Amino acid sequence: MAQSPAASLTPSAPAPNAEAPARPKRTYNGPSPRTLLVTLAMVVTASVLAGVVSGSVTVLFQALITGLLTGGIYSLIAMGLTLVYGVLHIINFANGAMVALSMFLTYAAVSGLGLHPYMALLITVPAMFVLGAAVQGTLLNPIMKAPIHTQLLVTIGLALAIENLLLMIFGPTPLSVELPGDHGVSFLGASVDLSRIYAFIGALVLVALLWLVLHKTRIGTAIRSVAASPEGSRLVGIDVKLIYVLTFGLGAAATAAAGTFVSTFTTIEPTAGSVFNLTAFVVVVLGGMGNVPGALVGGLVVGLTEQLGGLIFPGQSPLLTVFVVFLIVLFAKPQGIFGRAS
Amino acid sequence: MSTSTAAQAPSVSRRTSTPMAASTVSMRWNWFLLALTAVVGALLPFILTPAELSVAMRVIIFALMGIGWNMMSGFGGMFSFGHAAYFGIGAYTTAFLLLDVGMSPWLGMIVGMAVATAAAVGISYLALRYKVKGAYYALSTFAFAEMLRLFVMGNDGLHRTLGFTVPVLQGDNWGMFQFSADSPNYFWIGTGFLLVALIVSMVFLRSRAGRFTIATRDDEMAAAAIGIPVLRHKLTVTAISAAITAAAGTLYLQFYMFVDPEIAFGHAVSNNAIITAVLGGVGMLWGPLVGAIIVAPLSDLVAALLRNPPEWLALLSGQSGLDIVIYAVILIACVLVLPKGIVGTIVTRSRK
Amino acid sequence: MKKEEGTVKAATKLILVPTVAASLLALVGCQGSAALGGDHPDDTAKEVVIGSLHPLSGANAADGQQMSFAAQMAVDEINEAGGIESLDGAPLRIESVDTKSEPETAQSEATRLIQEGASALIGSFESGPSANISSVSERNEVPFVMDVAALDSILQQGYKYSFRIQPSGSMMGESSAEYLDQMTKDSGEDVTKVGVLYEQGNYGTAVEKAFANRIEELGMEVPSAISYDPASSDLSTQVQQAVAGGVDVLAVTGYYRDSLLISQAISSIAPEVKAVYGVANGGFDQTQFIDDAPNGGAGYLNANYRLDVTDDRARALSARFDKGFGAPMRASAALSYDAVNVIAEAVEEAASADPQMIRDAISHSDYEPVVVNDGRIDFDETGQNSHAAVSVLQVKDGAIRTVFPNDLAETVYTFPAPPTSAQN
Repeated sequence: MAQSPAASLTPSAPAPNAEAPARPKRTYNGPSPRTLLVTLAMVVTASVLAGVVSGSVTVLFQALITGLLTGGIYSLIAMGLTLVYGVLHIINFANGAMVALSMFLTYAAVSGLGLHPYMALLITVPAMFVLGAAVQGTLLNPIMKAPIHTQLLVTIGLALAIENLLLMIFGPTPLSVELPGDHGVSFLGASVDLSRIYAFIGALVLVALLWLVLHKTRIGTAIRSVAASPEGSRLVGIDVKLIYVLTFGLGAAATAAAGTFVSTFTTIEPTAGSVFNLTAFVVVVLGGMGNVPGALVGGLVVGLTEQLGGLIFPGQSPLLTVFVVFLIVLFAKPQGIFGRAS
Repeated sequence: MSTSTAAQAPSVSRRTSTPMAASTVSMRWNWFLLALTAVVGALLPFILTPAELSVAMRVIIFALMGIGWNMMSGFGGMFSFGHAAYFGIGAYTTAFLLLDVGMSPWLGMIVGMAVATAAAVGISYLALRYKVKGAYYALSTFAFAEMLRLFVMGNDGLHRTLGFTVPVLQGDNWGMFQFSADSPNYFWIGTGFLLVALIVSMVFLRSRAGRFTIATRDDEMAAAAIGIPVLRHKLTVTAISAAITAAAGTLYLQFYMFVDPEIAFGHAVSNNAIITAVLGGVGMLWGPLVGAIIVAPLSDLVAALLRNPPEWLALLSGQSGLDIVIYAVILIACVLVLPKGIVGTIVTRSRK
Repeated sequence: MKKEEGTVKAATKLILVPTVAASLLALVGCQGSAALGGDHPDDTAKEVVIGSLHPLSGANAADGQQMSFAAQMAVDEINEAGGIESLDGAPLRIESVDTKSEPETAQSEATRLIQEGASALIGSFESGPSANISSVSERNEVPFVMDVAALDSILQQGYKYSFRIQPSGSMMGESSAEYLDQMTKDSGEDVTKVGVLYEQGNYGTAVEKAFANRIEELGMEVPSAISYDPASSDLSTQVQQAVAGGVDVLAVTGYYRDSLLISQAISSIAPEVKAVYGVANGGFDQTQFIDDAPNGGAGYLNANYRLDVTDDRARALSARFDKGFGAPMRASAALSYDAVNVIAEAVEEAASADPQMIRDAISHSDYEPVVVNDGRIDFDETGQNSHAAVSVLQVKDGAIRTVFPNDLAETVYTFPAPPTSAQN
């Protein structure tokens, strides 16, 4: 059960896995063939079980497709979180609030400037980058030496402040952004909206972009160097504080992209982002904290577990399975399924 | 990167605190403060209005949660992000035994503390056994709390999401742990809990086991090397932590008389425990109480301030959410100005 | 950090933080003593205070803010019309506070309001905080009129000071089942299987239980009752599960956000159902739903408490609210408006601001509410408004219309009304 959904994402998410063999030592440890075999067996078992319990192939297909697509959304949202944790060792509790902020920025851009929702990325991404950098520079950099809970407290405060400022500015009535031409497409009786497929593609693109930034640019190299050893980086002349600022900015920018994609299919409210907080933490841990491709994989695992678990255990909250699986995986693989960070 | 994650926990805690200061250098101070707490606790019901007393109750519950969290995370060095689990177990065990078995909440509380202790030791044993460390450990505790919340939500015997309502009795009833609204008994009992929790912490920290625990937190490798049974001490401090937090859960139930999965196991509970302890001073005996005295009334204070706003705020008053924004800004400011917490800073200063 | 510099800095900090904290404490101290003056109101009170407790921030702020606004409107109207006559025109005053959706805050704020002289309380939309306010009001012997709070058990404690205008969760579930039965029979349609989707919280659970039981008593089947997490971001699988094996009607109990997600899933899955039927659904009866839902939500039915649109007074109120608040009035706000009026009439009758006398007057309240009700308000011995009723609404021609029961209907209902056909 535990790792079952992991297997099915191997074919569906070739991008991160394909990269793994190229840099086996530096990037991340892909699952061993044995792990793969076991997980493949488990995902089949879970699917069969889910199919039998639900008694409907359509329902099963829907669960698998929805699981993959919501998994993509989860990883979109977790991307910034994992980056910030990996480099700064900060659990950013404000991640959800930042998603909400980006959703409202998207709304403002669409309704105020008449932009296409995806064009709003041109506004939300830079704006959130600046905001994230400012937060790190002013609030977090001074306490980088403090323990992890001290920084956590700042991000909790930040989350409260952002959500309630949004409430004050935009009011409590839920808003929405419509994606022109959005409609459902059917596949073997299962059905999904285009906006969700685009969001999934967005997640893939974002992973690729972040990976490229981290591995193919000088800043990325500096970021990875700081992540591995701040002291060592300082010695070779890297401005560590500046890298912290850039990393948090980058994380916020990733979160901004997530917010814009999500705003096309859910209601926009101040609390719309924090509903993802719980799952985002799970995704980050499963994928290995700081592991960007891992976050994608972790998201898909969580998405599928949630959907199949919901079918297998009717009457229970679908998330219950996710957390049970999470704990089991954590004990089996204390550094996440995919081991170490990039 | 992962290696630095694993190394984070112990090194982080070392910076946090000055363990011995709390337990040996100023023992007389501790007894004095304890007596002061007792006296203030005894007198407050005569001074405060009922509404203020209700806020004071929240101070006590926050302080208990903070003390519980501080035991495990401050002294034990295991960062818990899911103390709602033990708080919820305390509240739910008591509620279940009271309503479905008819057991007095006093006994229910003992059972709840035992269950919470068992759960905490169990989950921590697994985590330590499988070497789940640092932030991974934190998130495993978080997942455990969430799991319990979701489990209760799907369990008919625990009323799913409907929760438990404690039936109102007439007058004061010591046996059933229930008193009339304006009775000072709740507050006195709460103060009693608080004193017991503080004394237990003091005694533990002064004992051999306590010193070994702190030595383990500060340098686990060294502690293990000189033969300290690391696992046992970590589990002991976890057990004490869970028991104190569970008692806070029972106190919450008996005072507020209603509990549901979100109230008991919700993430806000864990956050409040952390905020309280961090603001007061992590790894400081008196940190959580001082933190609670600031945090618990803070949102009410801000709301009160906004009811008759000063001029510079008048423009914004009446805006819902403003009080929370101000509350959040104060929280952030406190942490930035005093990253070691209030007590932590005082102790560091006075030692120089 | 250098040591010397650090010492000076820390010393400043050490002084700064406690000072700020102390001054805040002092501020509240003043508040407290100021309140002591008006501790408990006597019969010749100049002003009658009603405490209004709602979630003004957080996930339910949209309803909470509307409810708080409606309560203020009710008070303003009464004061403009001359206040409480039997008290020589004494005005009413609303003290509106934010429960932040936290029972603890609800409790301490309710206590504070009572202590500062509130003669009655209204609130609070959510069951947890409502349960707490109930016990506070009981222990302090101050009446508490619940506008919205579905949880049945709040009024099963033998409380004397708690009243509820809204139909309880089980009442809503049962009536919804009965109306569905009557509507399908009247339209000559054969409905034997009802799929149920409900949010897993205490509101969804309470309503669903009563609905499914009654449906089965009425001879229909519930092949699938699927609960879901309202914080989910996709509910397609749950919709598929609920309609798997073929159901005639899909019943949905949920809030706005999740109901919208369900309507999106329904639109893309296009199940063969005769109708989508909201059971006390918080989404299908919002004007905004028509803008947000695929295909304008055409044909969606919803049995819920609602503003009585056949009543001129209610319609005028709704228009005034829209203008003042800037968004269409939700039924929850109408209930708050009624709650204030119930209290105001009781104060008038009691000719007193004394909470106990007001409580006695409320217990035999004869107020005619602006929400759909089976006649006037009638609180039974538990405090439940036994005349509380739901009506069935339908999205028709881009508007939400009351369609059942027939004596309240604005227009005739369409049944079957499959969610996928555009011509409803």
